[in-house]
Amino acid sequence: MISAFTTLKVNVMEFLLSLIPLATKFFLIANPIGNSPVIISLVRHFDFKRQQLIIFREVMIALFIAIFFQYFGEVFLGMLNIQDYALTFCGGILIFLVALQMIFAEPQDEKSTASKVEPFIVPIATPILAGPGLMAIIMLNSKIENNNFKISAAIILCWIVLYLILCLAPYLQKVFGPRGLAALEQLMGMLLSFMAMGMIVKGMTLFLKTFNLG
Amino acid sequence: MDISSLSLFTVTVTLFIIMDPIGNISTYLNLVKDYTPKKRFFILLREMCIALAFMVLFNFIGEYIFQALELSDTSVQLSSGVILFLTAIKILFPAPNSFRNNLPKGEPFIIPLAIPLIAGPSLLATVMLYARMESSISLMLGAMFLAWALALIVLAFGPVLRRYLGNNGLMALERLMAMVLVMLAIQRFMEGIQTFVDVKSWLA
Repeated sequence: MISAFTTLKVNVMEFLLSLIPLATKFFLIANPIGNSPVIISLVRHFDFKRQQLIIFREVMIALFIAIFFQYFGEVFLGMLNIQDYALTFCGGILIFLVALQMIFAEPQDEKSTASKVEPFIVPIATPILAGPGLMAIIMLNSKIENNNFKISAAIILCWIVLYLILCLAPYLQKVFGPRGLAALEQLMGMLLSFMAMGMIVKGMTLFLKTFNLG
Repeated sequence: MDISSLSLFTVTVTLFIIMDPIGNISTYLNLVKDYTPKKRFFILLREMCIALAFMVLFNFIGEYIFQALELSDTSVQLSSGVILFLTAIKILFPAPNSFRNNLPKGEPFIIPLAIPLIAGPSLLATVMLYARMESSISLMLGAMFLAWALALIVLAFGPVLRRYLGNNGLMALERLMAMVLVMLAIQRFMEGIQTFVDVKSWLA
C-alpha cells in the first residue's frame, strides 16, 4: 500500500518535472517579465483592485486562446494545407520580429502610450500574452507530442506562474525601477532571438527532409 | 506539389482568409458612415460585385498573363508568398502610415473597397495560381463564389458584429486571421522553393 502510494507520488513528480521544459518554453514566449512594464502602463489609470481584476481576466482569456489553439489548431492547418515546416518558420520569423522590437525598442513605443479605455482582449491577452509566436509554438508542440494532456498541463503550469508574476508586476516596478525593467526586457529579447533562430533552423531541417535527397 | 489535394473547402477557406472581410469591417464602416443603411448596402453590393468580376476575370486570363510574361509557377508562388507575408505583417504590427489609415475621401467606387481591400494583389495572385493548379473550372468558380458570398455576409453584418464583439473583439479576430495569413504566405513561399528545386533536379 505504502509502496504503491510512493510509486504514484514518484510518477506524479516525474510527470510534473517533465512539464518544466515545455512550460519554460511557453513562459519565455509569453514573456510576462518583459511585458510587465507594458501591461503596467496599460492599466495604471485604474485603482489597484481593478488592475488585479483586469490582469486576471486577460490572463484567463489568453489561457483560453492557448488551449483553443492546442486542440483546434491542427484541424485548421489541415484545412489550409499548411505543413509543419511552414509552421516552424512562421513561429521563428514572428518571434524574431517580436525580439527585434524588444531589443531595438523606441523610448516612446506605441504599445506603452497609455489609453484611458480599459484594455479588453486586445492588447494584453492577445497579442501580448498569447501572441502569434505562442500559438505557433503550442500548435507545433501539439503536433510533435501526441500527449494532449501533457501540453494542456504545461500550458496551465506556465499560466499559473505567469499570473503570479503579473500580479506582482505593480510591486516589481517599485523594486527594479523603470531602468531595471528595461534592462530585463533587453535580456528577454536576446533570449527570444536565439529561440527564433533555433526554430528557423529546425524549419529548414524539416523542409529539406521533404526532398528525399538521401 | 500534390495538386489533387486541393479541395473545394481548402480553396474557399484560403480565399476567404485572404479577402480578410473581418479586418476590412472597420475600414468599410468608416468609408460609408455618411450614408443611409440602404445606400450603404447598395455600395457594398456594387463593390463586391466588381471584386467578384475581377476575380473571375483573373481566373481566366491568369494563364495568358503567365505566358506573356514568361513566368514559371515558382516565380508566381514566391512573389505571392512575399506579398501575402508583408500584408499580414502590416496587420500584426500596425504602422501609422499604412494604406488602411490613409484612405481617399468620398464615396468609394472600385477604389479602395473593391480593389485593393477585397480583391487585392495577394487575392488575385492566389486566384491565378489556383486556376493554374486546379484544372476543374467549376470547382474554382464555386470556391470563389462561396468565399465571396461569405465575405459579403460578414461585411453586410459588420455593424452587428461590431456591436456584439466591440472594436477590440474585431481587432482580436483580425489578428488571428493575420496569423493564419502569415502561415499561408510562408507555406506558399516554401512550395515555390520546392517547385524550383524539383524542376532543377528533373533537368539534371
